Amino acid sequence: MLKKLYTIFAVGVVSLYSIGAMLGWEITSPTRRQLPPDARQNGYRSFHFWHYGLHGGK
Amino acid sequence: MSVLVANCPSCGAPVEFKSGQSIVVICGYCRSAVARTDRELKDLGKVAELVETGSPLDVGLRGRWKDVPFELTGRAQLGHEMGGQWDEWYATFANGWLGWLAEAQGRFYITFQYPIPEGVQVPSFDQLQLGQQVPGLPWPTPLMVAETGRATALGAKGEIPYLLTPGATYYYADLSGANSAFGTLDYNETPPLVFLGQQVTLADLGITTTRAPEREERHVGAAQLSCPHCGGPLELRAPDKTERVTCPNCNSLLDVNQGQLQFLKALEKPSFQPSIPIGTTGDVPEGKMTAIGAMSRSVTIDGTQYFWSEYLLYNPQIGFRWLVQSDDQWNYVRAVPPGEVTESGKSAKYQHQYYRVFQDAQCTVECVLGEFYWKVEAGEKVRGVDYVRPPHMLSKEVSTVYVTEGSKQRRTTGEINWSLGTYVPVKQIEKAFSVTGLPRPTNVAPNQPYKYGWIYKYWLIFVLITLLVGFLTFTVSGSTKQVFSQTVSFAPLPNEDGTQVFFSEPFQLEGRRNIRVTGQSPVQNTWVYLEGDLINDETGVVQSFPIDISYYQGVEDGEAWSEGGQSDSAYTSSMPAGRYVLRLEGQWEKWQEPATVTVKIEQNVTHAFNLLVALIVLSILPVLMIFYQISFERRRWSESSVDSGDDSDDDD
Repeated sequence: MLKKLYTIFAVGVVSLYSIGAMLGWEITSPTRRQLPPDARQNGYRSFHFWHYGLHGGK
Repeated sequence: MSVLVANCPSCGAPVEFKSGQSIVVICGYCRSAVARTDRELKDLGKVAELVETGSPLDVGLRGRWKDVPFELTGRAQLGHEMGGQWDEWYATFANGWLGWLAEAQGRFYITFQYPIPEGVQVPSFDQLQLGQQVPGLPWPTPLMVAETGRATALGAKGEIPYLLTPGATYYYADLSGANSAFGTLDYNETPPLVFLGQQVTLADLGITTTRAPEREERHVGAAQLSCPHCGGPLELRAPDKTERVTCPNCNSLLDVNQGQLQFLKALEKPSFQPSIPIGTTGDVPEGKMTAIGAMSRSVTIDGTQYFWSEYLLYNPQIGFRWLVQSDDQWNYVRAVPPGEVTESGKSAKYQHQYYRVFQDAQCTVECVLGEFYWKVEAGEKVRGVDYVRPPHMLSKEVSTVYVTEGSKQRRTTGEINWSLGTYVPVKQIEKAFSVTGLPRPTNVAPNQPYKYGWIYKYWLIFVLITLLVGFLTFTVSGSTKQVFSQTVSFAPLPNEDGTQVFFSEPFQLEGRRNIRVTGQSPVQNTWVYLEGDLINDETGVVQSFPIDISYYQGVEDGEAWSEGGQSDSAYTSSMPAGRYVLRLEGQWEKWQEPATVTVKIEQNVTHAFNLLVALIVLSILPVLMIFYQISFERRRWSESSVDSGDDSDDDD
């Protein structure tokens, strides 16, 4: 039983890795968002983006 | 071959010496042993009638060994001092060879007499030790003493190549060696006669007897007898082989001698109930076998007595096997030739594999039920040593019987028996013998195989596949492509919380290619932080990422140090192919000064992080199983009475 489960699991992992490698996936890739329609219409250069990084320094 | 026809000196009937090497011929009419001497025929006395042993052989049967035809010209039946008998057949070969074909417990051994090499002194019978090697014998492999005993000539038929005197006794030692080697030292003469050869099958001897089927037919059937003590019915399931049987009605221990039962003693009510009832037939790996006997045995370790049960299985075509039930764990056991096993220190080697010692103790028979092929009785003691290599267990039992004659103690018989047990799950026993409700084990058996060992093999296979995929991805997918590069100069910030924003000119990104954004700034003991966004000009999809460049260095206590670097990278998954703009929002520690950052965007970059994660995920379960296996092995060896060390666990 465990043999079957591990085989299925491992095949899944290898498959996922293979697909990811082919499609250029990165596990660490940050979240992807969509600009709101009004920001696109009005020009995104003035849009306030969603950042929450190291503002204020270290 | 010179044929001598003469008259029996006892009854006058014609006797015929077909072989020139025959010394004695048994008169077919009066069973006198007639010996030929230089001048006359001599009557050595009458031999007893042969005990029917169910042998498939007979005088007159022909065969072939090493391409030389032979004929069985004689048979002697010899009695063991401790009871029981075996047959020796004499094979006269067409080229003048004379072979001895011994038959015991359904096994056959062909031997030929060898002269003792010059300068070699074979040990005397009293010097022989069980298990010792006998040096100097003309045989390619070492031979060790497997059994010693005293034989009595009981009966004979046909022509015998030595002076067989009815009732005469002689000492012998059986030898065993690798590759089925077998030998006998016959102490009837001084120095002893040496017979060497090997264990064979009837097929090896080219014997296709037509007698065997009818004999087997007759001997498969059980013998119905009455108990001489209580008169109750009693069935012998192996009448040709059984030496001891217990009466199922009165529980008397009975001696079986040529099919005759003799009361020995009344036993106490058996203290154990066999899990497999006597008489049950089951399907074991070698065929159908019947449980004809059961015994309870014990061993005392550190003052605690441990019990287990053994079941004797029998099939006339297969012989005897054992089922051993210990701590509710089961083993299927068969005998192996002693010479095939070599012991060294805390290990034993059999068929190129090493076994680790697990237990060494004196075993005692506590209780017997049913039939046995030796004269077993409660209290019988042997030294038992177990070696394990899951799923097998190699067991040695050494038994020695001494008798006192006058003031001298004499070893009557000694024997080394090796057996190979194979672990059998309880469910398999239940299925094979159609029994239910056998207790389930709660501990780890000495030779219980660790059933998750496969996971390491599977893990290795999947790791190799993953590495192969990774390698192919890195090599086949093409080289890294730079799609954008620009040095951005940021003006000083209005305050320390302020930011500066930069938008690039549009550039193209390909689909299905991962992205690496690298920022580089000549910072020294300070930092620059960038929040980046890749904005799809057509769809409005935004991929954000951080770039954190910080580099500090100095000298402390005379030692130079540094931390961080003047560049940082961020990886993102591929984005749909299209036109993109890079947005950078910068902030830096020295806000009063301008900042310069060189930004580079590449696609199809080699990044091993995904591969590393895949390998780690694949390894989680195998790593957990390593801990489980360590615990499993600890539980196994916690039952061992021997500190075996760990110096002999390798394959040859």
